[in-house]
Amino acid sequence: MAKYRKTRGESLLLRYIVLGGWALVCLLPILWFLSIGFRPRTEVITPVPIYWPTWSLDAWHLLMSDWPIAQYLRNSVIAVAGSVIIDLILAIPAAYALSRYEFKGREDIGFYILSTRMMAPAIVAVPIFFLFKTMGLLDSVWALMLIYAAINLSLVTWIIRSYMLDIPKELEDAARTDGAGDLRILWEIIIPACLPGIITAAVIAAIFAINEFLFTLLIASTANAYTMSVALANFTGGSDGIIYNAIALVSFIAFVPILILVILIQKHLSRGLTMGAVKG
Amino acid sequence: MLRRVFMSVAEKPCRSDQMTTKAPLVSAAGVAKATPNRRNTGPRRRSPALRKAFPYLLLAPAMAYLLVITLYPGLFAIYQSLFVVKFLTWEWTGLGNYSAILQDREFWAALGNTAIIGGISLTLQTAIALTIAYFAYRDPFIRGWRIVYLMPMLFMPSAVAFIWKLAFNDGRVISNLLMSVGLVDGNVDWLGNVWLARMTLIVADVWQWTPFLFIIFVAALQGQDQEIEEAARLDGASWPSIFWNISLPMMRPVIVVAVTLRGIDITTMFTNVFVMTQGTPGGATETMSYFIYRQGFRMFNFGYASAASVLMLILTIIIAQTVVKRAFHSGKK
Amino acid sequence: MTIRFGGMSRRSFLRTGAAFGVAAGAVGLKTPALAQSGLPDIQATLDGISVANYVREDYRKLYNMSDEPLWDPAKDWIRTVDWEKVRSELGGTTVRFAIGAADQESAAEGLKPFEALSGIKVELVPIPDDSIYDKAISEFISGNASFDALQFFSAWLGDFAAPGFLAPLDDFAAKWNLPLDDFYDTYRLNYGYFGGKLVGLPFDCDIQMVHLRKSVLEPILGGPIDLVNSVPTYDELIRITGEANKLGGGVAGIGLLGARGFWSTYTWEHIAAQAGMQLFDANWNPTLNTDAGMKGMETLLALAQNAIEGVSGAGWGENRAAWLGGQVAANISWQDSGTQAMRPDQSQIVDDFVTIYEPRISGGVFAPPNIAGSTSVVTATSQNPEGAFLMLAFLTTSSIMAMNEANANGVAPGYRSVLSNERLRAVSQPMKVWADSLEHAWCSPRLPGMFEMEQALGNEINRAITGQITAKEALDNGQAAWKSIMEKNGFKDGGGPVAYADVAPGLYVGGGKALPF
Repeated sequence: MAKYRKTRGESLLLRYIVLGGWALVCLLPILWFLSIGFRPRTEVITPVPIYWPTWSLDAWHLLMSDWPIAQYLRNSVIAVAGSVIIDLILAIPAAYALSRYEFKGREDIGFYILSTRMMAPAIVAVPIFFLFKTMGLLDSVWALMLIYAAINLSLVTWIIRSYMLDIPKELEDAARTDGAGDLRILWEIIIPACLPGIITAAVIAAIFAINEFLFTLLIASTANAYTMSVALANFTGGSDGIIYNAIALVSFIAFVPILILVILIQKHLSRGLTMGAVKG
Repeated sequence: MLRRVFMSVAEKPCRSDQMTTKAPLVSAAGVAKATPNRRNTGPRRRSPALRKAFPYLLLAPAMAYLLVITLYPGLFAIYQSLFVVKFLTWEWTGLGNYSAILQDREFWAALGNTAIIGGISLTLQTAIALTIAYFAYRDPFIRGWRIVYLMPMLFMPSAVAFIWKLAFNDGRVISNLLMSVGLVDGNVDWLGNVWLARMTLIVADVWQWTPFLFIIFVAALQGQDQEIEEAARLDGASWPSIFWNISLPMMRPVIVVAVTLRGIDITTMFTNVFVMTQGTPGGATETMSYFIYRQGFRMFNFGYASAASVLMLILTIIIAQTVVKRAFHSGKK
Repeated sequence: MTIRFGGMSRRSFLRTGAAFGVAAGAVGLKTPALAQSGLPDIQATLDGISVANYVREDYRKLYNMSDEPLWDPAKDWIRTVDWEKVRSELGGTTVRFAIGAADQESAAEGLKPFEALSGIKVELVPIPDDSIYDKAISEFISGNASFDALQFFSAWLGDFAAPGFLAPLDDFAAKWNLPLDDFYDTYRLNYGYFGGKLVGLPFDCDIQMVHLRKSVLEPILGGPIDLVNSVPTYDELIRITGEANKLGGGVAGIGLLGARGFWSTYTWEHIAAQAGMQLFDANWNPTLNTDAGMKGMETLLALAQNAIEGVSGAGWGENRAAWLGGQVAANISWQDSGTQAMRPDQSQIVDDFVTIYEPRISGGVFAPPNIAGSTSVVTATSQNPEGAFLMLAFLTTSSIMAMNEANANGVAPGYRSVLSNERLRAVSQPMKVWADSLEHAWCSPRLPGMFEMEQALGNEINRAITGQITAKEALDNGQAAWKSIMEKNGFKDGGGPVAYADVAPGLYVGGGKALPF
């Protein structure tokens, strides 16, 4: 990365005010919500909001003693990881085809893939429910995996395709004239070249998958398949009303693993996508 | 000379292979690995038929998968939309549901709401993401804690909905903050006023999903060729003009794709409405997705709900069609 | 870091405090199959179903509760039924019970002794409450529900019973001597019967009431609150909540349920019933926009002026939270607003409130509304209907229900023998008013399509609350919607899947009775 040089007219102050301001906007609600998770129920809703509560582990006790949270987390992780793997296996070749080749029907196929994202979950929920019921896959993490993969495939394909477009054709052409087959090109050149893009797409797919709610709700009936997104729903109705502190805590239990994942791969996310003709 | 640089960039479509770059990501070794030693094996020849079928073969697994899982429900929904359905009884009505929907005030209201709320939210998100991405992508100090900007997106959408529900409505936090700076006198009724209620949904959506666009824009900005920008900067160009005339046009394809993806998701906005407002006041925040859900799972008009979702699908396809065509064209060159 | 005492959960308490011989699974939802010879002693198990074991320790201490029963043992079905007979006939079988996830706790508590007593294994299928209807519907639609027993909002009884999804329970009730007449009429008739057959056992027996904050309203009223005479009319309620609303300090005049969907319908039904409103005439024509109905709307809109902000989005959860959090000076909601507010671990307003007799509207009747509540049923496709019935009879037995009330967990008893128990009254503030009111209760009929109708009307009422349409338009629109939904469900020319004569007795049980005050 080039040494940072100030451009004419640029104000460092403005830059940092804007960046800092948005950082606060992102961070403060999260910190406040964290404080909600660690306070007694009676301090969540009050005539005037309480910002610094009496710290308590009430919500933690509620979660740990009454709900198989570890089970839910495990299901979430398995279903999400599996769906991302399925997506990558299917999407990388597809993105390659869409970005590098000209063939009849290219636009229509690409568009069809995109359109699968447009179905409102509420209406396909019932047929999907029947489909899985006849396949005998209800209440299993496999069903969730298949669903999440289907929902996110279009996203993953299109994101990877965008990154693939940036890979210069010279690279491929060089390899091809040297006799490499298409698949080897894909495997040894293209994929390493857009690795940041692949990782970005995988992370985004993971985020969407872990948040999926309606299908999970219909497909899962026991702790075999319940995930974190549905676990949260346990605290939103029923005779105890909306248990905000439990909701906040569940949210953080789901948030922390994803945060760690993103921190670990952050380097790749921000790595430059610079590539170009091979010199010399 | 500056003008010439600007013009040449603006005219060409953005393809980094036409610009010189720094150290490539792919090493020469990688290329060598992929290339068999010419002496030992001749260049592989493929039959023309295989060559032609190859892209289709690449796409086949993904297509097959999607067809199985999405075509059946899609056809099912279309089929079901031709009936009046109540639990197990199906009664043929042909286009009856469709004509009823087109005359349904609530349907058009939901459509309008989705467009308004989605449109404003998308515009705001894009503007903010572009701004933050542009300020942040080269900054040496920010790099480490860029993670902060990503955090809102890492929460479950239902959790985010509860955060803002508590902040605006149940917990009165926003009202309290506004009162303490003297902007309002009493607790604000966010759910009683059409535009205030919509605003709460927009705030929740923008807060959570700006990172999505941000992450894509940053990656794109970092992938761009630095030399043109450097050249312009050395020539003394001001940063707004660099932004508008160099960076933005180079990013156009990426912006289009990212905004399209996010836009499609916004048309299915459901969770925030479900948690925060349920369509209040009087249906002014009811989006299409919630309308369909309500018709199906609260009024049990599954046929009606299917018809609404088919209409919605057609509409989204038409809109996306134009956008996608452009994305393909800019990618082709 | 201070850890509040209320941190211990009810279920964890039960596990440490109880002395049953049954091995408990880690979560307690799935217990190993029990061989008949391995079942614990019946009397010992029954003795374990007691105040000492079931009611939370902090509440027992708070109210100095003795171990005496909060119910009448002679009317408590579990102590009168022949468990040996149950074991011999049904021991070793399994029952699957679908239940709203948040009610799971109170159900799971009660089920271990049931398994011990009966030898029947129970599997709980928890469903998030917001979606229980969707899930149940999906299962029913698929033609083969994967659970044997289900518990849901009683208003949906018609929707489930009319298409034949529910198994009739009359024979079982007779065979096992279920004390059906211990139920208040309004619950027995409306939560239990459809088309002359018993298809449900009342589970959560609800009634809506009016609750007032003493510290805010007594100054306005000029003295301590008299349950009958301080707020004798809705006009008076409008006046005092208006005054309270001006006081500020984060406390609004009144809380009510004004959200879209059935919430608004319930609030309107509550008030309009006092004006003498009935939903239908004898020919099943909806009669929503009568004078009584309009009077109800006008009162509702007047109260909404004094209501907490966000009333147009307030469902039960929001309303309850606002009341317990001290954000409102009065509340129109269920009886548990009067119980849960007593409990320091849930409420900011302990000792600062009281539940009064339903305010009257001149020209109307005293008709405290039996609204919502839940009933429990056995599915028609169940493989083990008798076992499911016994499980439900167990869960709804008066002793367990009484202790639910003592725990203020929101599941309310509907038995005369329970609501008149003095010891229980001591720990449940609204109980006397509540018990008196039930003999005069108003209720809506259980019809197929009722759920949709409640939604449609509620959406219109919500639009009126937010000022988008007038009260008259709301009721007119609602009426039109009801007509079309009823036609869709088979109601034509004065007749339909439900005979008016069948439901008429349950609509208002207070006719001709003297007022309790």
